[in-house]
Amino acid sequence: MNLEVVKLAAADNQWGAIFPELMLACLALALLGLEIVLPKKLHVYIPDFALSGLVGTLAGLLFNFRPATLGHDTFNGLLHHSEPGQVMRAFFLLVAILVCVLARVSLAKQKMPRIEFYHLVLIVTGAMMLLAQSNHFVMLFVALETVTIGFYILVSYFRTSTASLEAGLKYLVMGALSSGMLLFGIALLYGVAGNPDLPAHTASAMNFNALAQFLAANPHHFLASTGIVLVLAGVAFKIGAFPFQIWVPDVYQGAPTPVTAFLAVGSKAAGFAVLLILARDVFASYAWLVMPVLTAMAAATIVFGNLAALTQHNVKRLIGLSGVSHAGFLLLGVVASATVPMAQGAIYFYLFAYLIASFAVFGVMTHVAGANDSDQDLDHYAGLAKESPFLAAVLAIGLGSLAGIPPLAGFMGKLFIFISAFQGGARWLLALAAAGVVISIYYYFGWIKAAFFEQWTPPADTADPRPARTPVSFVSGLTLGSLALASVLLGFYQGPLGQWLTMK
Amino acid sequence: MAQILFYAFALFTLACAVGVVVNKNAVNAAMCLLLALVGVAGLFVQLDAYLLAFLLLLVYAGAVVALFLFIVMLLDTKDTASRGFRKVSTFASVFALGLLATGVSAFALRGRLTTPNPNLAAAVGTDLKHYAYQLFTTYLLPVQVIGFLLLIAMLGVIVLSKRWEGLDDIK
Repeated sequence: MNLEVVKLAAADNQWGAIFPELMLACLALALLGLEIVLPKKLHVYIPDFALSGLVGTLAGLLFNFRPATLGHDTFNGLLHHSEPGQVMRAFFLLVAILVCVLARVSLAKQKMPRIEFYHLVLIVTGAMMLLAQSNHFVMLFVALETVTIGFYILVSYFRTSTASLEAGLKYLVMGALSSGMLLFGIALLYGVAGNPDLPAHTASAMNFNALAQFLAANPHHFLASTGIVLVLAGVAFKIGAFPFQIWVPDVYQGAPTPVTAFLAVGSKAAGFAVLLILARDVFASYAWLVMPVLTAMAAATIVFGNLAALTQHNVKRLIGLSGVSHAGFLLLGVVASATVPMAQGAIYFYLFAYLIASFAVFGVMTHVAGANDSDQDLDHYAGLAKESPFLAAVLAIGLGSLAGIPPLAGFMGKLFIFISAFQGGARWLLALAAAGVVISIYYYFGWIKAAFFEQWTPPADTADPRPARTPVSFVSGLTLGSLALASVLLGFYQGPLGQWLTMK
Repeated sequence: MAQILFYAFALFTLACAVGVVVNKNAVNAAMCLLLALVGVAGLFVQLDAYLLAFLLLLVYAGAVVALFLFIVMLLDTKDTASRGFRKVSTFASVFALGLLATGVSAFALRGRLTTPNPNLAAAVGTDLKHYAYQLFTTYLLPVQVIGFLLLIAMLGVIVLSKRWEGLDDIK
């Protein structure tokens, strides 16, 4: 085996194709290097450095949105570069920027090392971007594990709080279980597709293209269906779909608020990016199995998420369980995407609307929260409208968009999903989803009511139980303001973004 | 002969796996886990997957389980009074057992578990050189990503366990 052979085999490793991910990796390493090199009084600028690096990477990605590798496989078929992949890359970069902005507010209230947090966010973001473009089970699993292990640390990052540690442990146990299921499924699929007695058997069964060909040639194989169901179960854990939502409330409550936002938006979107690739392309010939499973899951998720969120008083649990119901709406889109081409774009639009609205709400939460990050009660919002009208307005727009109130972006997102579900013929599921929306308006407005209409009367005998609110700085004010503005504008005018997303 | 060896290793593995679950003493359970892994390694050897067998012995039996044992002994868990099964957990266990039985019987009846013709199987390199060649050409990107995975794992251990008292750079 001489050097030439190795060179030939490595020629397909086009590192330029994953330049944004490489940028994030280098940036993450640079943060650690800067922490060693810089004098301590300059350490406060390192988060700014991370933030500007992220913004620069996003700008570069948008500037070169259609690179030469678009539509091709690189890294010997490990990655496939597609337009949805590019959209998800931009999505994750945006998520990372917003998480860093929230982290500046949230970490300032804790006695914690700072730089490592940004380092972890950068690595996890890079892994999510690879995950959304993976075309091979090895790549998918390695990227997914990097994301998950990063989250184990991020969730328990506020280690002086027992709630955070408990959440980290619960996420670790549940995450290990889901990884195990995913691996069992992958191993079954690999084993079946390598069986030389079956037609279209392949030696590279981990590759999505080869696997899709094999599955198309063996449309009703029992072991393959078992593998598919196990893989779907592993992914459903990540998106928090019923019956794999059991970890959601405790982990969302215990995790630091920026990490909760990262989990709610980033991790969920990564799960859906993977699910779309798997359900639409790889497992397309097993639609007889995949679609009923996802339909049942979507129905149960919408019902459970909305009903469980009704009784919550802790806002982090509330938004976690409402996030479960959002996963249900997105699953509805995935089910519709089997037959309706518009549905895929509708899912991406919904994800963006969900991102904007969620980060508006989480941004307000970081400002209202006190030093005890897991204790954020609805009562803490009493009198918010009078004391800081800006935060209250952003909160109202964000929650309104999450609830799907016209004319906000969340309404358009739900509308697109419902139209595609209607075209796909899932009528009874649509009726269930509409009922879910009505229920969700109730608890979202309970929160708005707490912020706007509850008169705050200070108790005479005890100290104010509400934690001190953080004053809004320029950067976070600008971010929250533009998120609220984007929620309104995207509701009225989707522009070329909406056109591109929905008209495919 | 191969048949007898297979059944011997399979039974040995299963018996040790049951031992992991039913043993009340954590040290004994970890030892059973180690033996179960040795049994699985024996099965791998019969499949001509020597590298996998050695990796299993070196990494899992050698390093991971040894670490388990180390931690169990370090924590020095006393024999806590075992709580009886609650009604709901009994119900859940019975339900899970039913699911498991359904799954296993479905595999046996519908799985079409035939032995593939070994002559038809594509020759897969099982030697170390072949693996290394694959790792540094085809799978170079995942190897790099795993490098970062290990980095954040190490970083996480430091962040979550380091003593902070007396560090003035943390506000």
